[in-house]
Amino acid sequence: MQTEKTNSNARIKEFLWNQMPLIALIVLCIIAALVSNRFLSPININNVLMQGAVITVIAIGMTYVIVCGGFDLSVGSVAALSGCICAMIMLEYGIVAGVVAGVAVGAAVGLLNGLIVTKLDVNPFIATLGTMVMFRGATFLITGGRPVVGDEGLPEPFLNFATERVFGIPYLVLFPIIVFFVFHWLLHRTAYGIRIFATGGNTEAAYLAGINVVKVRTSAYVWCGTLAGVGGVMLASRLQSGQPTAGIFYELTAIAAVVLGGASLFGGEGKLYKTVVGVFIMVVLANALNLANVHSYWQQVAVGVVIVAAAAADRLRHR
Amino acid sequence: MTASPLAAAVGISKRFFATQALDAVSFDIHAGEVHALIGENGAGKSTLMKILGGVYQADSGEIRVDSDPVRYATPAQALDAGVVVIPQEMRIVPAQTVAENVLLGQVPVRSRFGVLPEVDGPEMRRRAAGLVNRLNLDVDVDTPVGRLGYAERQLVMIARALGRNARILVLDEPTASLETREVERLFEMIEALKAEGVGLVYVSHRLDEVERIADRITVLRDGRKVGAGLRGELSQSEMIRLMTGRDLEQDYHHGGTRDPGKPLLDHEDVKLHEGEVVGLAGLLGSGTTEMLFRLYGANKRHEPRDLYRTPADAIADGIGLVPGERGLGLVMGLSIRENIILPNLDRLKTAIGLDRKAIDTLVTDLMETVDIRPNDPDKLVRDLSGGNQQKVIFARWLAGHARVLLLDEPTHGIDVGAKAQIHRLMNRFAEEGGGIVFASSEMVEVMSVSDSVIAMRSGNIVARLTRDGDYTERALRDALGG
Repeated sequence: MQTEKTNSNARIKEFLWNQMPLIALIVLCIIAALVSNRFLSPININNVLMQGAVITVIAIGMTYVIVCGGFDLSVGSVAALSGCICAMIMLEYGIVAGVVAGVAVGAAVGLLNGLIVTKLDVNPFIATLGTMVMFRGATFLITGGRPVVGDEGLPEPFLNFATERVFGIPYLVLFPIIVFFVFHWLLHRTAYGIRIFATGGNTEAAYLAGINVVKVRTSAYVWCGTLAGVGGVMLASRLQSGQPTAGIFYELTAIAAVVLGGASLFGGEGKLYKTVVGVFIMVVLANALNLANVHSYWQQVAVGVVIVAAAAADRLRHR
Repeated sequence: MTASPLAAAVGISKRFFATQALDAVSFDIHAGEVHALIGENGAGKSTLMKILGGVYQADSGEIRVDSDPVRYATPAQALDAGVVVIPQEMRIVPAQTVAENVLLGQVPVRSRFGVLPEVDGPEMRRRAAGLVNRLNLDVDVDTPVGRLGYAERQLVMIARALGRNARILVLDEPTASLETREVERLFEMIEALKAEGVGLVYVSHRLDEVERIADRITVLRDGRKVGAGLRGELSQSEMIRLMTGRDLEQDYHHGGTRDPGKPLLDHEDVKLHEGEVVGLAGLLGSGTTEMLFRLYGANKRHEPRDLYRTPADAIADGIGLVPGERGLGLVMGLSIRENIILPNLDRLKTAIGLDRKAIDTLVTDLMETVDIRPNDPDKLVRDLSGGNQQKVIFARWLAGHARVLLLDEPTHGIDVGAKAQIHRLMNRFAEEGGGIVFASSEMVEVMSVSDSVIAMRSGNIVARLTRDGDYTERALRDALGG
């Protein structure tokens, strides 16, 4: 009896620890609603969702790389590069060609990242630090440092993607939800997903179990690059142009979101929905501080404190 | 030996999960003696030494130094008390010099301009050279330790212990990777330290060395002290009887003579047939693991002698590997279910994901067959005992209908019950037409489970023992050179 009780207590404790990101997000929302009556207004909720949309897509790709035991600092630069190439092609050859080009560029540079890390055996941190700078430079080169808008702006239907709604939900918000379900299925319901977790959790054991670890690791970078490309295209629609300076610090926000969601930076552990929770912890926190008229410098300090505190709490739990 | 001991462990017990690693074991060390601690793998020798060295805490029992009870919370406190353990896996810093390694943690410091503290290089070299010379080790103290051989690294570790004024020096399998000449030098050094009044603990399963060097012997088996004696009181065969619980020349249990069936493996060194168990006997570093890796395509440097290019190719041919370090075989952060299906994912795929029903049936059946506890497929492998982890790898290959199992020390460090279960699983696998290559450093075990034994030493095959020839433990010990 006694052990049963302690057992169920331990289980509740375990459950609460596991759901800590979600609990933190809910508490954060309650506080925000108490601090400002504007927080729950439809306009503000729409704002929060719009702000979270692009970073959610990018953070989903980041989760794949991190669960697979890697790291990708280049996603912000990839988003800018994809967005600009998307806009340039679109002005010449139309919307479909532009979108395809933008996403394809993301996939291609993702593959490049993956090959540098797996075939050249370069530490992922250094490899993608290099490509981050490289891709940003390439973006400035092809655009001459100026926004890509053309003479009459980007085509109307492309811009409508960011503004129009279906069933009252903006396309820009609906789309990441679809992306989430597809990639959730792929990571948590398929043989490929198990291979990613196994490779990230113990590369040697995965190899000895017959898994082609080079292929699996490379594929994770390809997904990450592809989704960064998708994010870049979404960003171009929202900004109504290809912006060479877009996506700066997105890599840090995405990594922070994955870590806030409790994924291990050593690989092999993580849940995709928790990454989304992590994204919205970041977005809601910034939004709430805005509504409370906290100076933007202080906002940065607060966000930094939250990231460090979350990581420290996770270490304490494992002790 | 009337004086009180330098240190004593009294009634030490220690449990790891389901395994009682030590059960009320007492052990003491006097000044100027060599006390040998012997036993088979998993007998509890290393655990006892780790408790003495402050790495583990005992569940019950007491450690006394100079008759005073002590409780070390950390290895550092044990060091302060003068207890130095030299483990098999040596803690050296390969990129640093001999001098830096010898004085690691006690680097001499001088003041530059009377204020700036900096490393006193000349003093460090002088002190390191003094310690190294005491061991008759002829190396330049500025050499990076990474460039030294195993025997010299070991002496660097011992020099470090001397620098800490070690009063009790524990050597854990010190000769496992040494050549005969190096062993001689080690023994000379041990005699010299004895003369200086140091108390030495000599952990080994090499009985001829123990017979030669030990003043006193304590035998452990399955976490219990099963025997002790002074020099000359225990013969080698008595020691073996105590260590294994059996007589040396006793007829080993064997799953019955099996008629070899069709060939399963055709490698230049290893031939394996249906229903056959081939033993691969060798001590640490003898190349048995590398041999298994060659048969499995897991050799990182591809060689012509490799049977396969990648493990995936070997698996496709029905070969499964159970590696010696369980960390190499299992993904600790994944569940039992996921670890079992890992190499079999392609067979369990459907168009829209995984065939959950087929997986559940398969995993539930196998967990029962190999008896994994707790019987919960969602349990993380990290939370299982060593024996159960080993069974998970077995289940994985049974799930894949493997025809050949390559086992590397499959019973190393698991308790007797689990060991017997693993042996039963192997027997059944062979009876059903599978073939097994069984690598082990436990000679009694490898002889009892195998139909023939290949003896390896320094990467080479030195003997082949078959049941119709001289199939005795003595012959194997002779081949391996003890």
